[in-house]
Amino acid sequence: MRRPPLVVVLIAVIVMALGETAGAVMSQLRPQTERYALARIAASPAVHGLTGSAEYDDEVRARTVFAVEAGLSFFHTHAEGLAPVMLVVATLVASLVASRRLRAALYALVTVGVLFPLGYLGYAAAVLTLGRDDGVAFAERFMLTPLGGFAILGVLGLLVALAARRAPVS
Amino acid sequence: MVRFKLELARWARGTMLARPQVHGLVGVRDVDEQIMDEALTRFDGGLRLFHMHAEGMGTIVILTTMVAATWAPTAGWRRALVALLTVGGAGYPLGYLVWAALIPYRGVEDGKRLAEWLVWIPFGGTTIIAMWLLVAVLVMQMARRS
Repeated sequence: MRRPPLVVVLIAVIVMALGETAGAVMSQLRPQTERYALARIAASPAVHGLTGSAEYDDEVRARTVFAVEAGLSFFHTHAEGLAPVMLVVATLVASLVASRRLRAALYALVTVGVLFPLGYLGYAAAVLTLGRDDGVAFAERFMLTPLGGFAILGVLGLLVALAARRAPVS
Repeated sequence: MVRFKLELARWARGTMLARPQVHGLVGVRDVDEQIMDEALTRFDGGLRLFHMHAEGMGTIVILTTMVAATWAPTAGWRRALVALLTVGGAGYPLGYLVWAALIPYRGVEDGKRLAEWLVWIPFGGTTIIAMWLLVAVLVMQMARRS
């Protein structure tokens, strides 16, 4: 096995380390996270569609806090799941793709794709800044879809490169 | 979890019924059933989280120790990183098993507090420190190269 470029390894390990740290933050600082989210919602009532009716507003606040916590939770799980996958993909690219140009292109896709989990941090922030529905739509359109697209293209590119390899003549 | 789901639930339920004070059971069927349902859901959740984290952390231990073995600058660094990543990563998921096992005996919150201090904080903390040390090693290697 050959090793992938150091920058790819570094970014994948940073994403894994962030994911680990986010898991600890989620569990140890959950009340603080909830308080912060509630304070942000209270600071922008119009953005979150608060009406002044206690019952309705409580429901809106609960759904928004849930979305923020879901964003953090998805960040944790995707950082721990996707970064190792991308590291393995980059190692396979280094070991099995012969063309230098193709390798460089695949490394670029994998390096950007490994940032996909950060889209969920953006998701949590966007929900608080833009409101639940607009925030989710913003994060999906501008963060999760492009970054996820790069990750998918990286894996598909590796598949195509492997399929196009000539079998050794025995 | 799949094969022994019923037996596990039966054991947890029996253990909880034998400790009504720990779980705040009052002897009123409607109230007690709700309390026990919630505790059993957490018990099941603890087992599921153990399954999920064991699968995830196992993979991460293999990959991060490979990275450490490849990029650590000295044998001492390599040994320290591999030891920290392995001990932290292998121990952390066991916290969910400990939590699930403690729920019938100590209740949901007390079980969680014990699992936190016995397993999650020491082993999870070790993993987090090891991961950021690995990041520092990779950054040093990058700086050295450039």
